[in-house]
Amino acid sequence: MPNSATLQRGIQENLYQHIEEWVKGTKHDVCGVIFLYTENGPANLDAQVRGILEAQPDLSFEVWTDDENNTLAVILPGRTLDAVHFEGLLLKQRLQDIKADLDPRITLASFPEQGEATEAVMKQMAESARRSLSGDIHIFTREEAKTARSSILIVDNDPTIREFLQIRFKMQGYETYEANDGLTALNLIEKMKPDLVLTELNLYGIDGLPYIHHIQKLNVNKSPKIVVLTEQKVEQTISQCFQSGVEDYITKPFSPVELDARIRRCFN
Amino acid sequence: MGGITLLRDILLIYGLFAIYYVMTVNVLYFSVLAFSFRNIMTVFRRSAYSKFNTLSGSELVPAVSLLVPAYNEEVTVIENVKCLLTLNYPNYEVIVINDGSKDDTLGVLVKEFGLEKIPNPEMRNAIDCQAITGVYHNPQYPHLYVIDKPNGGKADSLNAGINLSHYPLISSIDADSLLEKDALIRMARQYMENPEETVAIGGDVRIANGCLIENGQVKDFSLPNKMWPMFQAIEYLKAFLGGRIGWSSINGLIIVSGAFGLFRKDYVIAVGGYRGGYPGEDMNIIIKLHRYMLENKLKYRIAFCPEAVCWTQAPDTYHILSNQRKRWGRGNLKNMIENYDMAFNPRYKVMGLLTMPYNIIFEALNPYFKLTGLVALAGYVALDMTQWKILLVFGLINFLSGYLFSIGALLLEELAFKRFTKISDLLKMLFYGAFKFFGYSQLGTLWRIQGHIQYLQNNNSWGAMTRQSWKEEKSEAPSSAA
Repeated sequence: MPNSATLQRGIQENLYQHIEEWVKGTKHDVCGVIFLYTENGPANLDAQVRGILEAQPDLSFEVWTDDENNTLAVILPGRTLDAVHFEGLLLKQRLQDIKADLDPRITLASFPEQGEATEAVMKQMAESARRSLSGDIHIFTREEAKTARSSILIVDNDPTIREFLQIRFKMQGYETYEANDGLTALNLIEKMKPDLVLTELNLYGIDGLPYIHHIQKLNVNKSPKIVVLTEQKVEQTISQCFQSGVEDYITKPFSPVELDARIRRCFN
Repeated sequence: MGGITLLRDILLIYGLFAIYYVMTVNVLYFSVLAFSFRNIMTVFRRSAYSKFNTLSGSELVPAVSLLVPAYNEEVTVIENVKCLLTLNYPNYEVIVINDGSKDDTLGVLVKEFGLEKIPNPEMRNAIDCQAITGVYHNPQYPHLYVIDKPNGGKADSLNAGINLSHYPLISSIDADSLLEKDALIRMARQYMENPEETVAIGGDVRIANGCLIENGQVKDFSLPNKMWPMFQAIEYLKAFLGGRIGWSSINGLIIVSGAFGLFRKDYVIAVGGYRGGYPGEDMNIIIKLHRYMLENKLKYRIAFCPEAVCWTQAPDTYHILSNQRKRWGRGNLKNMIENYDMAFNPRYKVMGLLTMPYNIIFEALNPYFKLTGLVALAGYVALDMTQWKILLVFGLINFLSGYLFSIGALLLEELAFKRFTKISDLLKMLFYGAFKFFGYSQLGTLWRIQGHIQYLQNNNSWGAMTRQSWKEEKSEAPSSAA
């Protein structure tokens, strides 16, 4: 059976994470990914896409829908970039044959040619399809993958500080999450898998060094980088924190510009 | 007929004496309350505007050893230690002393924190205490130590803790109470105002029954639902805000609550540590500190820090509450008998001329005056020496003066902390403040006398004290809100 059966998955919130897992889990060396966005697409767009793909005899594929954003993800295991590009063109043309005024925006790539297929990269590809200005197919490049939005979890008991940092980081293009105590932070790290945790050390629930150790022992693929932003100025604590592997240690009151620079350095 | 006239004369003299007694005690109460009012705005400004956050990470704050005696606390100890480990304080250690618990207090601690026995614990033998059986520690939790020792009482546990402690300040904390995250740093701030003279600081103890507690944080403050904790909530408010702020402002504080207090270790060691073998060790250490400082003519201050709050679970059954009060009565009497020489001795200044006489005459002996007063009242009625109108007026004056004091304490609370956000809570406080005089006050007298009887019988036990997990409190609280 050439075409794998596709299922309507009801996993909206973790969609991109599932795509990542699927792409990484495929037994082929390479894997193509196409994101297709239509502003005025018909409700049965995914069925039409499937129809077009099924018409090709030895193509295995997987179609996922992100209904909220009118976006489709087509995964093509075993296809290199040129093959994926061809499929993209084909899809566009066939769809326009069916409905003339349809204006699909397409971003595509093949991994690992275009870098690592992480959740953040997937999100960025979908975003790029949505934001694309022209009808031309956009090939997602390795350079773009590198600037994929990194996510930062901000942990502080003080809502003012959280709000300030969140606005600042959002403006710089990071994705941000918030937690107000140690236990919530640990839960969020497991769930959202942020790339970096910017945290105070004085927290409710769990704090200080045991808290840092806990973050590192969490059951995630890649434990997040930790930057401490705290009132705690005792030398011994600072030295112990670095020993347990935190990336940086900044004491309050802090300079936002300096903080930005230090965060940026962590990502490069 | 001669006997009757004699009796009349005696009763008349007693009546005069009683009137002066009541007048004096009320004057004292209200002067102390006046002192509290004089200081409350300072307290308010201090708690509202001080920058604790900056201080809480500063290298300059002196390090503190928290001593937590635990006896049969396996239900609550983990949660409490976790909470104590997340205080807002730059440098401190938590020393839990397992006082020969019959349950698995040590076991649950060792399991939860992955503790291991230290081969050669450094114990300074600064104070006599029972030999310990081991000290447990885990480098992953560098600020936690657990001492295991055979049962020797709370005082002995504290002494063992002092012997292990590494820092110049010690703080005694009951294993069943919950410190606010800022409590210790607020106290340390007050200590740092005058580190040379401050030898001890007491914290404010409040009743947590009815509050919603999550992750060691009091999320929603409301009054207890049950009657017994409610009475105690009023009592604590009166004692801490109405009384202790005033007493501390004239340096006449006689007690720093055992539930939460900060001490200078060198002076605690100088006075020989905590006295074992009897309850009331918290009052005893303060009396000993006063005596030591005054006898050595050292300038000193024993302060009270009302913004440093410790939440405690009040006993909610008659049985446990009466046991606690009898124990307090016993400990109080013991302390007064041991230190009677300080009373009326000008050498001991405020302590000798005011605090000790007040505590002996108006606190320790109070129940007997109440009792004889009742007998005398029967006499007056029997001998037709009084009219119901006079009785009514006296009763009313007595009630109103007591009630005014409660309202004063409530007013202090509202001026400085504004914890009662709900009108219903305020009304409930006012109602119970009045209701307290019809039954509960009399019970208090009874318990104190029973405590004194226990003292005379040499009954030396701590009595029943059961613990509830804070977790239960959580599940209880929302249902009450509904």
